[in-house]
Amino acid sequence: MMDNVLIELDKVGIAFAAQRRVGGGRFWALEEVSLTLRRGERLGVIGRNGAGKSTLLRVLAGILTPDRGTVTRKPISVQLLALALGFVPYLTGRDNAVLSGLMLGLRRSDIKSRLAAIKDFSELGDFFEQPIATYSSGMVMRLGFSVAIQVDPDVLLIDEVLSVGDAEFREKSGLALRERINDGRAVVLVSHDESQIASICDRVLWIEEGRSVMEGPRDDVFAAYNAALHHPA
Amino acid sequence: MRRHLLDLILFSTYAELRAERSRSYLGLIWWVLEPAMMMLVFWLVFGVILHNGGPDYVPFLLIGFTIWQWIKSCITHAGYAIWSNLPLIRQAPLPPLMFALVQMLADTVKFFFIFMLLLVVLWFMGFPPNMAYIALLPLFVIVFIFAIGAGFVVAAVVPLIPDLRFVIEQFLTILMFLSGVIFSLDAVPPDLAQILALNPILELIEATRGILMHAQWPNLMTMFRVAIESLAICVVGIAMVQRLSPRYPKLAA
Repeated sequence: MMDNVLIELDKVGIAFAAQRRVGGGRFWALEEVSLTLRRGERLGVIGRNGAGKSTLLRVLAGILTPDRGTVTRKPISVQLLALALGFVPYLTGRDNAVLSGLMLGLRRSDIKSRLAAIKDFSELGDFFEQPIATYSSGMVMRLGFSVAIQVDPDVLLIDEVLSVGDAEFREKSGLALRERINDGRAVVLVSHDESQIASICDRVLWIEEGRSVMEGPRDDVFAAYNAALHHPA
Repeated sequence: MRRHLLDLILFSTYAELRAERSRSYLGLIWWVLEPAMMMLVFWLVFGVILHNGGPDYVPFLLIGFTIWQWIKSCITHAGYAIWSNLPLIRQAPLPPLMFALVQMLADTVKFFFIFMLLLVVLWFMGFPPNMAYIALLPLFVIVFIFAIGAGFVVAAVVPLIPDLRFVIEQFLTILMFLSGVIFSLDAVPPDLAQILALNPILELIEATRGILMHAQWPNLMTMFRVAIESLAICVVGIAMVQRLSPRYPKLAA
């Protein structure tokens, strides 16, 4: 294994129980996916709905352990970007920011020193000290994003959440996320929006029905993907 | 990493208590009022109406019920803990064990409030503090180990078989009666009593009563046996949760 390889998946498969009943079968959300993620690399994952893209991200995040194949990872921090993770309705914005930050893997001291920045970025003002049950859904998302953007992992995993809130906040959050993406860390982005992937990623993995179809330079994979999409075999 | 997990568990416990306080109008008062109301019901039925209590029935009941309530709330709340946090477990690589532990720590904090109130009530009833109180600390450590152990076992299984939720409550009611909470088990035939004495809860509650009511130090051999049993349950519970952990992120809530 080369030195700058952070995570390597070798023929990974993930099976889910199909139904909650005695004798219910299993289905393979991932059949056989292989990929290597190197330091500083920005990898896009494309594929149709149900291809296993989100499942793949959860394997990379260390949430799912493979039922077959192997995952090799360096001792690095990996973070799946999740908004409003662990939010409790009856707690204030401040308490929720701390709780969510801890769940996202931030240290208590780091969160404390960033609370002012979180409050500022979320534009919640005095509502920051109110229970989030009193928030509109847009305000919850703004708080969620402001906390999530504080994490500073070696590998950032993003599942289609590039921006939230009204037009103005969307622009601001999109910008902040791009800063996070472009400061040299490894990123894996899942999306079926081709233009989004094209603007961020340099390499692309194409999966279909839980299998890697192709992995390589962005333009090559897109060409093959579009050819297959428009002229199915 | 360990430091971070500890921070997460402690803050989650604080959040749980905090949230619970704001969920109702009376907030904190319910921590004490709810068990007090339950005790009142049992006192009415068994002490006043059925008259099978004996002279010290009220302190007997209050102590038994306070300890039981602590164990019971740990088991029921832990039982729901992993199951109800499955959406979170699917999104972040968090150790499922912590969700059960957080609930039980919150229950333990609540227990201490209730226990303080119990002590005050007992003093007024003519059971003053005594030297044997020192034994309460190790005794409660054993109760805690037993309670979280049993809690982990239930927490581990409920996500896989949610149907168990409907059974646990009935099972705990039977266990309450078999643990000598409401009425003493002196009346049961001796051979049956021997079997019932294997139940650690029974011994733990009896030891607490001995300390608080009769200034009586717990029997060391019995406590040693109960401590071993409790530790064993705790080890089994933790092992079960850890063993099943890879399966939880794949479950639908």
